[in-house]
Amino acid sequence: MSLARKRSVAPTGLVLVAGVLIVLVYGEQYTGSVFVLSACYAVVTAGMAVQIGFSQQIAFSQSVFMGVGAYGVALLNTHFNMPVLVATPIMMVAAAIAALVLGSVVTRASGLALAVATLMLPLIAVGYVSNTNALGGPVGAPLTGQLWPSSSTSASLIGGGLITVAFLAIAVFVASRILTSDIGLELFVLGVDERTAAAMGVRTPRRKLELFVLGCVFAAAGGAVYAGTQQFVPETLVDPTAELALLIMLFIGGRRSVIGAVVGALVIQYLQGASNWVSVNILVVEGVLLTVVLLVDPEGLAGIVNTGIARLRSWRAGAAGAAGVSGAPGVTVATSATSATSATSATSATSATSATSAGQSGAADAVLPGAVASAAPDDSDMQPVMAPALARTSSVRERQAPSPDGSAPLLKCEGIGKEYGGLSVLDDINIALPALGLFGLCGPNGAGKTTLLNVIGGSVPPSRGQVLLDGADITRKLPHERFYLGISRTFQAVHLIKGRTVLDNVAVSCLASHQAGIVTRIARSRLDEARDKAAQTLTELGMQHMQSREVSSLTLENQRMVELARALAPRPRLLLLDEPASGLSEQQRYRLADMLRAFGEMTCVLLVEHDLDLVAQVSQRIFVLSGGRLVFDGGPTDFRASPVVNSLLVGL
Amino acid sequence: MKFGNLVIAGLVTGSIYAVFAVCVAVWYRVSNILNLAVGDFAMVGALGVDNLYRVKGLPLPVAIITTLAVVAVFAYAYDRVVLRIAQDGPRRMEGIVVTFFFTFALSFFIDGVAKMLFGTDVHAAPALWNGESLTWASLHFERAGLLVLACAIIIGGAFWVYIRYTLGGKALEACGENAVGARIAGIDTRRYRWLIFMGTAVIAAIFGIVESPITGYTYLSGATISLTGFLAAAYGGFRKPGRALVAGLFIGILEALLGGYVNAEYGDTILYALLAAAVLAWPRGLGFESAVSG
Repeated sequence: MSLARKRSVAPTGLVLVAGVLIVLVYGEQYTGSVFVLSACYAVVTAGMAVQIGFSQQIAFSQSVFMGVGAYGVALLNTHFNMPVLVATPIMMVAAAIAALVLGSVVTRASGLALAVATLMLPLIAVGYVSNTNALGGPVGAPLTGQLWPSSSTSASLIGGGLITVAFLAIAVFVASRILTSDIGLELFVLGVDERTAAAMGVRTPRRKLELFVLGCVFAAAGGAVYAGTQQFVPETLVDPTAELALLIMLFIGGRRSVIGAVVGALVIQYLQGASNWVSVNILVVEGVLLTVVLLVDPEGLAGIVNTGIARLRSWRAGAAGAAGVSGAPGVTVATSATSATSATSATSATSATSATSAGQSGAADAVLPGAVASAAPDDSDMQPVMAPALARTSSVRERQAPSPDGSAPLLKCEGIGKEYGGLSVLDDINIALPALGLFGLCGPNGAGKTTLLNVIGGSVPPSRGQVLLDGADITRKLPHERFYLGISRTFQAVHLIKGRTVLDNVAVSCLASHQAGIVTRIARSRLDEARDKAAQTLTELGMQHMQSREVSSLTLENQRMVELARALAPRPRLLLLDEPASGLSEQQRYRLADMLRAFGEMTCVLLVEHDLDLVAQVSQRIFVLSGGRLVFDGGPTDFRASPVVNSLLVGL
Repeated sequence: MKFGNLVIAGLVTGSIYAVFAVCVAVWYRVSNILNLAVGDFAMVGALGVDNLYRVKGLPLPVAIITTLAVVAVFAYAYDRVVLRIAQDGPRRMEGIVVTFFFTFALSFFIDGVAKMLFGTDVHAAPALWNGESLTWASLHFERAGLLVLACAIIIGGAFWVYIRYTLGGKALEACGENAVGARIAGIDTRRYRWLIFMGTAVIAAIFGIVESPITGYTYLSGATISLTGFLAAAYGGFRKPGRALVAGLFIGILEALLGGYVNAEYGDTILYALLAAAVLAWPRGLGFESAVSG
């Protein structure tokens, strides 16, 4: 049984066992009915954890689709005399179809636009419901049937409760399975940054739509069991306050934890059921509780628990011998425990790695048995390990790749122009790159370097001109399609998934899941394959000793190394690097330069960089942009001597 | 003259949305936090004055001043206690947590306290300018509506002058663009944050007092006004008070016209559907390129 499987089975088992016990013991009492009610909400928040918590797709659609499920079941039950248990799956399918139609429109928006557009859904829904008599208007809609129809009250209570628990267990299982799969990793990147995700091959429009539908189906299921167990659908189920209450449950429990989201729903509903005062003044309680939880830990109760566990582990590790350890920073997703080392490295982000890592790697290895065998004793040993490994790889590639001089160029930019509202950013850029080598791209701020990189990478469409890869026109291809064609890139700012290991962060670019639907991952995750590929790249780069470290515990240099490894891992034909040296010290740049040279022997690299010495050292040819025009194109010797370059970039 | 009267009614509601949108936008510029609790301060203003005047029997000016003072002190205390930790502490929070959830929580809290203090019935502050509605060429002007419009013009104008022509206004912009940079340049970002927060809370309360005779408020009214103001601010890209103001007026007039001509019952529903469609059709044009991430 793989780790991924354990991670999804454990929470499901916990929910199932605890839920069944509670229903059997308290089923006929008030406590039991409160629990069942909160379980209905928990089904919804489990979906929200996937959609909002991990993937950061804030759509305010949950209460509306809870309403779709609940009102749909009520209508089918009262008008067509359909049993609730039959009506529920029908309404889930109906909700999926409705969400697909709605989602294909709204998920074209991102970030705030998505939030604002969907914020109107509860407003629209409550206006519609309160004026529609068929739905009971402001009074609400009653049901005649029950989730578990039975003449005996106790049988229907316990039966209904058990079915609700089953729904919750399925919801938790599906959510955990998706999150621990390779598509789960896609969703994590989507949550970090949409552009990065697209550059790593994630088909963002499709994933966003799937997430929206998933969240809506979970919500409809929650609404349907709500209707079945409560036998009444109030109008307040769909209003904006209900939506905010759901979000509050999610955030109190912990937005990045499925179990946390479930616990959040249970806590809020239980508090309301347990005390009349709380029930009357629920707004005050929710407000205070949310504020306090956010102030203590933005990751909610789950984050507080995880930090506690990390502290405990670091305390244990400290007792075991590692010196100078005092508390872990907010490591919220308990992956592998790296807290023992994180405290040291976080404080020394700017100093050279070799100085800090002497004590670190030893401690990390002690915690992580998997890394011991292959671990280098020190980060500074990276070069001796890396260079031969990379050379081996490059020789393999050279045999496969067409000869660099013989055939047509790999990348060709023909007459690229870009304008933003009349302002010309790029003007008639013509560049051709062969299949191997490292090429520098320089220019003053605002010269259009990053824009050109974006045009080649696909995140910005050019106003004029063509981008050709191997002679084929790719100007209209989207970023993720270009990734499949072998274009890989990094961004100026570091965009790593915090809370995940180095290995997982590199595995992001090795996923085989891009063409697969999210539902397929409930049956089988293929994350391990991606991790194997990532581990191979890390070994080649001499970084295997840090593969189990949590990324935010790394120095900036190592974070950049991880990004480079991530860009390199899919074995791209064209590697676009946007200022990999920014923020690095002189010494760190030397090491980076060695690494870049090795990259240039393996594949075609286009390097945007401000550090002219670095560019001149590593590039075989350099392009200089100024005011959107190509003003220099030549080798490093000419580059150093060129008056144009000197006046433009050095100020001579 | 149905059209004219609808436009007048729309202008009055629109001016409220507009002022609230400006409040949201200005404070977002300073703090990078979207204030979803603006409307709740308006509700506190209206119901607070009503409670002190009608139930407790205080003279009207005393009731108004006391209510505004309570709102100001509460806003200051909130900034001091909660936002200090959230924004200035060692673990500065970012992204959606700050953008949405702190003021969600605040809004819930205020509504809950209002429910405790004022109950669940519809109330309103006493009208400040009594009398029949004024008529001119078959157009009807509610006196309270005229007061609201006057307040909106004064406050909108004051904001405009402040942002456009004073050093404080420039500093305000710097805070939101780059808090650290602004602090290095000698701008006390914390001071601006609580000043503007307190200021917008008091302005909202004043509007609640002036407007409540027209619509009447319950403890939950704040959330709806907040949302509409928030939407108007959204159409101004959250950072542009001028555009937010225009959007607010436009939404108000559209709401009145839809209610009057198309369908009284589903008017709001159609309005919100139109607004959602607008966001989706022109996300860039409406200033959404600065999307929330993280």
